[in-house]
Amino acid sequence: MSDYPTLLQTSVATTALKVLLWPAYKSTDFEVHRNWLALTHSLPFQQWYYENTSEWTLDYPPFFAYFEWTLSQAAKYIDPRMLEVANLGYASWNTIFFQRSTVIVTEFVLVFALWLFVKSSPAKEKRQAHAAALSILLSPGLLIIDHIHFQYNGFLYGILILSIVLARKKSGLLVSGLLFAALLCLKHIYLYLAPAYFVYLLRAYCLGSKSIFDIQWLNCVKLGLGIGVVAGLAFGPFVYMGQMEQLLSRLFPFSRGLCHAYWAPNVWALYSLCDRVLIYAAPYLKLALNHEAVNSVTRGLVGDTAFAILPNITPRMTFILTLAAQIPALIKLFLHPTWHTFTSTLTLCAYASFLFGWHVHEKAILLVLIPFSLLALTDRRYLGAFRPLAVAGHVSLFPLLFTVMEGPIKVVYTIIWLVVMLVGFDGLAPASPRPRVFLLDRFTLLYIAVAIPLMLYCSLVHQLVFGANYEFLPLMFVSTYSAIGVVGSWLGFLVVFFTS
Amino acid sequence: MAPSTPSSHRPRKKRIGEPITSNGTVTTDPSTKQDKPAFPLAAFFWPAKGTGLSQWILLPIILMIVFLFRWTTAMWPYSGMQKPPMHGDFEAQRHWMELTIHLPVSHWYFHNLDWWGLDYPPLTAYHSWVLGQIGWLVEPNWFELYLSRGLDDAGLKVFMRATVVVSEYLVYVPAAVFCVRQLAKLHNINNWESSIALTALLMQPATLIVDHGHFQYNTVMLGLTLATIASMLAGRPLWSCVFFVGALGFKQMALFYAPAVAAYLAGVCLFPRIQPLRFFGLAIVTLASFAVLVLPLILGTAYDAYRNVPLPSDAALPPLLTMIPFDLSEKAWYYPYVVQLAQAVHRIFPFSRGLFEDKVANIWCAVHCSGIHKLHQYDSALLSRAALALTLTSIVPPCALLLFFPKREVILPTFAATAWGFFLCSYQVHEKNVLLPLLPMTLLLAREGGMKPAIRAWVGYANILACWTMFPLLKRDELRIPYFVLTGLWAYLLGLPPLNISAYMISGGDGGLHIPSKAIHIGTYIAMVAWHFGEAFVPPPENKPDIWVVANVCVGAAGFGLCYLWCLWQAVQVSGLLGRKTEVVKKMQ
Repeated sequence: MSDYPTLLQTSVATTALKVLLWPAYKSTDFEVHRNWLALTHSLPFQQWYYENTSEWTLDYPPFFAYFEWTLSQAAKYIDPRMLEVANLGYASWNTIFFQRSTVIVTEFVLVFALWLFVKSSPAKEKRQAHAAALSILLSPGLLIIDHIHFQYNGFLYGILILSIVLARKKSGLLVSGLLFAALLCLKHIYLYLAPAYFVYLLRAYCLGSKSIFDIQWLNCVKLGLGIGVVAGLAFGPFVYMGQMEQLLSRLFPFSRGLCHAYWAPNVWALYSLCDRVLIYAAPYLKLALNHEAVNSVTRGLVGDTAFAILPNITPRMTFILTLAAQIPALIKLFLHPTWHTFTSTLTLCAYASFLFGWHVHEKAILLVLIPFSLLALTDRRYLGAFRPLAVAGHVSLFPLLFTVMEGPIKVVYTIIWLVVMLVGFDGLAPASPRPRVFLLDRFTLLYIAVAIPLMLYCSLVHQLVFGANYEFLPLMFVSTYSAIGVVGSWLGFLVVFFTS
Repeated sequence: MAPSTPSSHRPRKKRIGEPITSNGTVTTDPSTKQDKPAFPLAAFFWPAKGTGLSQWILLPIILMIVFLFRWTTAMWPYSGMQKPPMHGDFEAQRHWMELTIHLPVSHWYFHNLDWWGLDYPPLTAYHSWVLGQIGWLVEPNWFELYLSRGLDDAGLKVFMRATVVVSEYLVYVPAAVFCVRQLAKLHNINNWESSIALTALLMQPATLIVDHGHFQYNTVMLGLTLATIASMLAGRPLWSCVFFVGALGFKQMALFYAPAVAAYLAGVCLFPRIQPLRFFGLAIVTLASFAVLVLPLILGTAYDAYRNVPLPSDAALPPLLTMIPFDLSEKAWYYPYVVQLAQAVHRIFPFSRGLFEDKVANIWCAVHCSGIHKLHQYDSALLSRAALALTLTSIVPPCALLLFFPKREVILPTFAATAWGFFLCSYQVHEKNVLLPLLPMTLLLAREGGMKPAIRAWVGYANILACWTMFPLLKRDELRIPYFVLTGLWAYLLGLPPLNISAYMISGGDGGLHIPSKAIHIGTYIAMVAWHFGEAFVPPPENKPDIWVVANVCVGAAGFGLCYLWCLWQAVQVSGLLGRKTEVVKKMQ
């Protein structure tokens, strides 16, 4: 058995590193969460979704607010000043110590979920499962986003994995569904995965395994009631107080632009790149130019993105595209409701929403990366599709950290992870029963090779050559490069998924 | 020797000559009869075991991982951060950089002593000059003589921290890799196991936290020492002279090793047969290295003499010059050089300072502070003579051993014992000097059987105790959390208390410690943990405000004394001194 290092050993060692990262750079998300701690602690619950002293208003669903409230019960013993709503930007050492340590402690949900994942996998896949679990536990994405930038993804993805693992057995389906419902009430970004859950629970839990007309009424009632209870706990009080409209406007702010501050590496990043390139080509091609858009200062940085040549994109279009990209996989899931197909479909749903969604944040790449990690070692073809994603996904997170001290940490940690995991995975992934896609393999190799000069350019060369000018250039390179990787791995995964 | 790992599941096709050793990294599970890692650090290397993973992948990964811990430690405060008026070691190093780049060479050792005057040997001065030149290019405001004092700019911190890491990766890391490889060759240890030992060495918490947390460049001196040891192991005594002169030239504290180095080099000239040629070779190379070491200083002085740059107005003649029996003519061509060298020596060896500095876990401080015997009633000359006598007594046994049995196996324990002798008994010791005995002692992990519970426990004991004795210093620097994290992590990785006691679960017969040693170790660990609780929660009585520090010093000194004895015993064991006796006994029977 080569189940070493164990998950516990690994989490001890990484916890050491995470504690050492306490004084590191933290983004505004740190203040966001401090503000939520303060407002849930010191305001009556009717005002939670109306409070706007800080610009970082509460825009997560109620369970997360309850979670913050729970944390605030401990926080008052550490430093009561952090719990004052008006105390904007407060970051005493004790506040940092407290908030950073809650991230580390709540992450043990993830460790437990991964342990269960390894335990529940069949004996002949144990080693692969263990490697996948380690890769998630050590993920540079979680390190960068949670332990430096500051968020609670380890905890949230822990619940997601727990729910996915429970779905392995027929007996766990109900709990899995309820956990996912609870997860939605913690952070609504997981709505992107909901179609896969819906189809899977419908087919595997509510309908008979032999025929779709054999409706399992009892299961339907159990699931319906359960979800009702979860939703009632979360939203019930707010419905009762008549605050639902306000709550929803906080959760779904559609006034935001198509692309987020840093371009998330998705189709729209490539789309706006084309637009930029076409501006220079327009006089030759005799295309009509939208001059307002050319001179727009924001240029996809904040707020609205206007395109100079290509047609503008509306939220409705992104919604339709996302759904269209999800449907084929959902149909396959409906026809073959196995756990493996389910997890693959989850991954594809995440891909679709990441690639085509409105105002996608680069951090959302974890939504694709983490479910895919569970599958990457299925066989060599899956691994082939996973590789560019592993590189692109993490490289695309680099612009999140721009301070000098943290630069080496993100780069070196990611390189270690990539080398260890890709070398390790290579030895563990079994051969595929089907021939590999030759082109994809070569693409992957070339793609990974390009990452090295790119990282060098963005972290060093650009600054030496241009100083502070053309700041958007490295960002654009990173997002274009990553977008190619994500799209490539998506196409690769589609081929693998629909041919196996 | 534990049973070597079963090779059934390993592919036979391996690099020729890859020995299958068990250095104590692998144990067998009694119930399942399967191999398992003996401690967590070995578990982290488990996936690479028996795969013949290329060193070109394994080594860079190790170096990158240890870098992460260095760089995250560097994010924490440094000594003297925002602590006027004097700040601390960080300011001293920054000041040396501005001093060397702005002043003529002949002023380096004469410049104002009160604000962190340069009192390290020339190699440190050159090192500061190089770093200062680079830093000047990056941001001149960081290195304005007089104007930049006590600067705590965030960018400056990054720059300074980076210089420590770069210096370490240029000197200490290659030397450590080289040294561990030599040990592996000597003891026939496979790559996998020596990689584990290398990681343990590079993660040594005391060195890591002093250099990257507190802020110093010890790893340069320690790296040159490692290179000295490695050259001795490789059978290249001439190179060891060069490296050791470098170590001495960087930080005078390398003198802790000097008797052992001298004993070994003399030993290889005398035994098994007298080799006068080798002796002359060593002497010439050593002298030449010293000459090269001071050459830049001499050339700089020559240039200043040529330009008629006078010495600073407040410069006093170094006392060494007034002590010599004959008169020096100020007009003589060699006069400026003699003055320079004498002044450098005067700065580097301040004989006028006290017996010990601050509170340090050595014999003198323990005796004085614990109240057994107050030492300030004696004349300092008497005390320094007593210190000299006691130091000599403590270093003669290991050095004599090395002189008469100049075997490569004997080097590490005798180096450690000599350095422990100096640390415990000599004059003017600093708590950070504990890094010197720790280095050769920790290297024992890379030796045959080095990671078996007995040696691992002793090496770990010394390291953890050493970190613990530095806690009062680290607390002042606000490095408490890195201290707990790095020490705890290292102890955990090597299977040692407080987080893991696997090393103490093995009986004496199976390569573990015997009951008395176990009792001492566990007792000390309990005392250390209890001390931390006491120090944190129990305020000291009014008439004894230093009680916690004194307790720390006394326990530390006792523990280090045991480490000295243990190193000496290890040296005796591997030297063959006893082996020959038992042979004689056998013959007589």
